[in-house]
Amino acid sequence: MDKELLQERRGFLKQFGATLGAAGLGAAGVGTAHAAAKPKGNIPDRPVKVGHTTFLTGPAELLGGPGQRGHVLAQEEINAQGGLLGKRKIETIFADEAAGTDGNVKELRRMKLSENIELFTGVISSGNTPALGPVAEELRVLTLFNDGCTDFLFDKAVPNPKYTFRVTNIQSADGVTAAIGAATHWPKVRRIASLQPDYSYGRNVFEHFVLALGKLLPGIEVVSESWPKLGTTDFTSHITKILSTKPDLLIAGVWGGDYVAFYKQALRYGLFDKMKVATTLAFGGYPHAIGKDHPEGVLAGVHANYHFLYPSGDRWPVNKSFVERYHKRWKEYPSFESDGAYTALYLYKQAVEKANQLVGGWPDDEAIIAMLEGTGIDAPAGYLYLRADNHQGYKDAVTGLSKNLPGYDFPVWDSASIVSIPIRSITAPPNWPKPGQGHNESTAAADWIKKTWPAAGKA
Amino acid sequence: MEIVALQVLNSLFYAAVLFLIAAGLSLIFGVMGIVNMAHGSFYALGAYVTAWSVGAAAATLPPAALFIFLLLGAIAVALVGLMIEPTLIRPFYRRQEEYQLLVTFGLLLVLEDVIRLLWGGTPLTASGLVDSLGLVRIGGLPYPVYNLLMIGVGAVAALALWAFVYRTKFGVLLRATAQDRRMAAALGIDVGRIYALAFGLGCFMAGLGGAIVVPSQAAVLGMGVEVLVIAFVVVVIGGLGSLEGALVGALIVSALRTITIQFWEEFELAALYLIAAIVLLIRPTGLFGRRA
Repeated sequence: MDKELLQERRGFLKQFGATLGAAGLGAAGVGTAHAAAKPKGNIPDRPVKVGHTTFLTGPAELLGGPGQRGHVLAQEEINAQGGLLGKRKIETIFADEAAGTDGNVKELRRMKLSENIELFTGVISSGNTPALGPVAEELRVLTLFNDGCTDFLFDKAVPNPKYTFRVTNIQSADGVTAAIGAATHWPKVRRIASLQPDYSYGRNVFEHFVLALGKLLPGIEVVSESWPKLGTTDFTSHITKILSTKPDLLIAGVWGGDYVAFYKQALRYGLFDKMKVATTLAFGGYPHAIGKDHPEGVLAGVHANYHFLYPSGDRWPVNKSFVERYHKRWKEYPSFESDGAYTALYLYKQAVEKANQLVGGWPDDEAIIAMLEGTGIDAPAGYLYLRADNHQGYKDAVTGLSKNLPGYDFPVWDSASIVSIPIRSITAPPNWPKPGQGHNESTAAADWIKKTWPAAGKA
Repeated sequence: MEIVALQVLNSLFYAAVLFLIAAGLSLIFGVMGIVNMAHGSFYALGAYVTAWSVGAAAATLPPAALFIFLLLGAIAVALVGLMIEPTLIRPFYRRQEEYQLLVTFGLLLVLEDVIRLLWGGTPLTASGLVDSLGLVRIGGLPYPVYNLLMIGVGAVAALALWAFVYRTKFGVLLRATAQDRRMAAALGIDVGRIYALAFGLGCFMAGLGGAIVVPSQAAVLGMGVEVLVIAFVVVVIGGLGSLEGALVGALIVSALRTITIQFWEEFELAALYLIAAIVLLIRPTGLFGRRA
């Protein structure tokens, strides 16, 4: 890379406070044995029942499977220490999210009313959290959603959450992160093609990507839009159409098996030779789902959340230790869903312990919620905090370029290419007006970007 | 210009796969009167068996020899079909159609889970087969030779099936049974055997569809349900029970899909359902369907 371009890029990143390449600070965090304060008061020894709904079947198992394994790892670790507050073991009831939204709502009711769960976790789909959130509030069941990251949940469906929280980054951050990654690595792209699954996630990625990139680079133009149905595996016609419009950059939000089928076909059609490719979820499933034939230099998104080699071990030991324990337990590497589900359970543990120190005995939900609001935790992905105003989890957003490294049977990130963005730089600040409160943008984030980001000009 | 050529080839490849699936679906309905909801899952099974066996043998066999697994994948699915028909489908022939739909839908769910149990959630691929044949250049753009070859396989399969049904003795027995099961039985035809073989043949076609598609794409969970919906659009247009209908329906659906993707992307799915609705309004039995 020529020196001038590199300097230009550094300057560009500065306005976001983003960093290029590995960075991070050491801390003691989840899963590491550190002396916890002795529990106060009388703790009952009956188990804590936890409900965990995630995709156990169907194409989305690629996301749900790693999530379930992350949850089980945290559960086993906590139980091995005697359980929560040293007394109460965690018992999890799993449910398959593939049962559909209605089925998930019914199962949540059943979990609460007949199994009497004390915590509900999991959930991957953005179609499900907006349905489950209001029900969790109604049933008054403490809920830590793993994913289902749509802005709509806390913008509209549950605008004033009490019992519901969400751990992984908000959806609009995904498109914005891809835009910053693309603008950082390829500041010269102007003609944009898009390939998105035809449902709310794809729409959200497309809107926020184009909005953010338009602020970052001057004169961009969308030359091609493709909206294959979720679950499509034949992409040849889409690829040919994209090639026919001669773009500089393709933004692809297709994920899971769809993405695997897509890149196999795109590779043989020469798509990767003809344009830069940015994705939001290429590295989102099991890391080993992508083969080594995957081209290098693709912006490989992880839902703006986590990839297991970052933060790198020596600088963030929490991650190194998590990856080692996860790999030992499951003989595979964790995904961002593993990190989210694992962290969710430790957030609960931390809040229970803090509340116990304050009030003694087993704390009631009010006390646990008070300890969750505004709290922070050293998660494998980095420092995560739960904002009190909207119960949303925030951590620095990451993306990077794919590279084949010896030692892994699948592509990983080129460590020099990783872009890490402070999350406050790309999400609407606390109490920014929500859709319907003086603006009609699809998300608070979109309104905030439109109104506050300076437009790109000549530097 | 090369874009048009590529899109025509894309469309033919997709049509070849759709035809294999829809023809099996139509054959089973035509002979046995069963709407096989599990048909897409046999397609998925073909894809998984092929990808898995190619993956297992890739280290020891030369790439050219791996093509045998396309056929073996289809045969494996046919064998599964031959086992399922007498045990699971046969007891329901005398029942009403709802029961047949329920049992084949149940089979769909079971097969989906069996696939997950055997091969897990990670997509399986066999792209070595595509790479072994290399690329041709059409205009300035590369196109996999494998896809060309598989368009040929689709055409040969269509011809072979036609010859099998209309030019062999077994074809005569098959059609006789389809027209009047009781009369065929009275004339001494072993109807049970015909049914089992028809079901096996239908499964073979679906399995072959899955087998030829997997090297160029990937075997993923849910692929069977995905394709089943499109296969039903094909047979609705072509006429359920008609092989010609399956061929013409596959070509229409595939061409329409490609055209909408190139020019009116937003209408990709809507266009398919719209044309199916129009055909149903004008010819409720489909373009080649016979009145019941």
